Amino acid sequence: MSIYFIRAGLQTSIQDYGRPGLMHYGISQGGAADLLSMKLANLLLGNTLNNPVMEITLTGPLIEFDCDVSIAITGARFKTLLNNNPIENYKVIQIKSGDILEFSHLLSGARAYIGLSATISVPQILNSASTHLISGFGGHKSGAIEQGERVHLENIRIAKEAQLERELIPNYRLRPLIRVVHGAESQRFPQSALDNFFATTFQVSAQSNRMGIRLSPSIIPEPEGLEDISGEMVSSGLYPGSIQIPSNGEPIISFIEGQTIGGYPRLAHVIRADLHRLGQLKAQDKINFQLVSPAQARLILQKKNKLLAKLQNRMESEAREALTI
Amino acid sequence: MTFSEKKYPLNLDFDVSTNGDSALDIRFSAEPSANLSRYIIGLRQYILSHGPNGLADLIPAYQCLTIIFDPNLFDDESLSQEIQRLTLKFLKTPGKIKTKPHTIRIPVCYESIFAPDMTAVCKHTGLSPDEIVQLHTATSYLVHMLGFSPGFLYLGGLDSRLYCPRKNKPRVRIPAGAVGIAGNQTGIYPQATPGGWQIIGQSPTQLFQPYSKFPFIAAPLDIVEFYPINKSEFAAISQYNH
Repeated sequence: MSIYFIRAGLQTSIQDYGRPGLMHYGISQGGAADLLSMKLANLLLGNTLNNPVMEITLTGPLIEFDCDVSIAITGARFKTLLNNNPIENYKVIQIKSGDILEFSHLLSGARAYIGLSATISVPQILNSASTHLISGFGGHKSGAIEQGERVHLENIRIAKEAQLERELIPNYRLRPLIRVVHGAESQRFPQSALDNFFATTFQVSAQSNRMGIRLSPSIIPEPEGLEDISGEMVSSGLYPGSIQIPSNGEPIISFIEGQTIGGYPRLAHVIRADLHRLGQLKAQDKINFQLVSPAQARLILQKKNKLLAKLQNRMESEAREALTI
Repeated sequence: MTFSEKKYPLNLDFDVSTNGDSALDIRFSAEPSANLSRYIIGLRQYILSHGPNGLADLIPAYQCLTIIFDPNLFDDESLSQEIQRLTLKFLKTPGKIKTKPHTIRIPVCYESIFAPDMTAVCKHTGLSPDEIVQLHTATSYLVHMLGFSPGFLYLGGLDSRLYCPRKNKPRVRIPAGAVGIAGNQTGIYPQATPGGWQIIGQSPTQLFQPYSKFPFIAAPLDIVEFYPINKSEFAAISQYNH
């Protein structure tokens, strides 16, 4: 029982929550770049939220199934076809053996997730099924899935019908306002750099990946201005969300497969509640930043978690029949 | 190794500060040193065994221990107070912390085929290739920490005669196992990556083996020593590893 990749897509990989707790070995957590979308796919299928999913990036695959299974597609919106008929995102879809699923062009966002009512058959490496794409280990054969490859499924069951309410489906067409708190070295930056940072609409560079999201333009009119700050930096722990300002003044947001130790000054840090949104950024996208207090950051996170917990409760309730959550 | 404040006189002033919404930094004001690293690694172990459960990651570095937590589980202000208290307590009784450092000997082939920047390093340092190999293999290096990428070792103790700035133009690809010098640091690339280090040799030893029972060859406070091998020994060891 397997899924066959007639076309693999640009970077299709297996992901879960990744590998927390190994940063002191230099291993970043990795896992799904948009954890919220991954959780929603699993939630719709009635899976545990950490059940491994397929992460699809920018260009989607063409897949043939050789078994009956339920799927749910979340995250980026692609034109998605099942046996040439359009299907919806955020909805449980029943697949029959022989069905062909096609991801045609990308409409919005950057990464889509295919949740499966099954276990993807890959070894657990350092306690995770996820592919660490930058370091090349884990997942399916240590990297992105290639054309003509087959990924095997186990423990297949059929999930009940479910669909996410339209109002809850994220809209990636809107320019994101990413909320940040002060970074570890915020106070070392000149006020002009801080003002520029919050006043600038940044563009995402094509060099962005799961390691880091690079932005332009520079927030430092004269690059020499930063020498004083970075000159005295001694490398220390770095984690996803930290916004570093290298000497050219162009911000880099450390992402899920980022370095665990870094030496550039950090002006701001993306709040945990908004990290998932970074997974939907692609080259040329425009973004802005808004400063919030640590207390606000906590409240925003609690609110998002409560919503997810509420959805999960509704999914688990016995009474659900063709549930709309 | 047993800690004793008398044996290791050190300024132990520190400060606990927030780093984003999910981390705290315990930052020491002393300059990076072997002694400070012993305290930082000791403190890491102390917090793991005496601190609250559920801390996500504790990343040691030259002057800083970064504690990453889930803000769903911890409030940064009360965690900061708790970490402050634990750190003070640890610094009063560091003698209780014991570690068992290992010495790891790593083979390196310094022959020209693996040492594209040897000439540049000779020119900068005024030393001959033989002298460079001699100095590079004579030191017992301390592992301060692992990081930036899986298994990379931050080594302390490079002979100051070998200090050499990074290349102006980084290479697009440096092979895994390449041994280089950058400023006052020396190290081995664990994976093929772009990089600006001056490459003076190549080791057949793999620093990160994700599919092995023991994925990492060294831990912080271990001692690393390099020893020279020739091309045919390099080939023999590489074959054995694969």
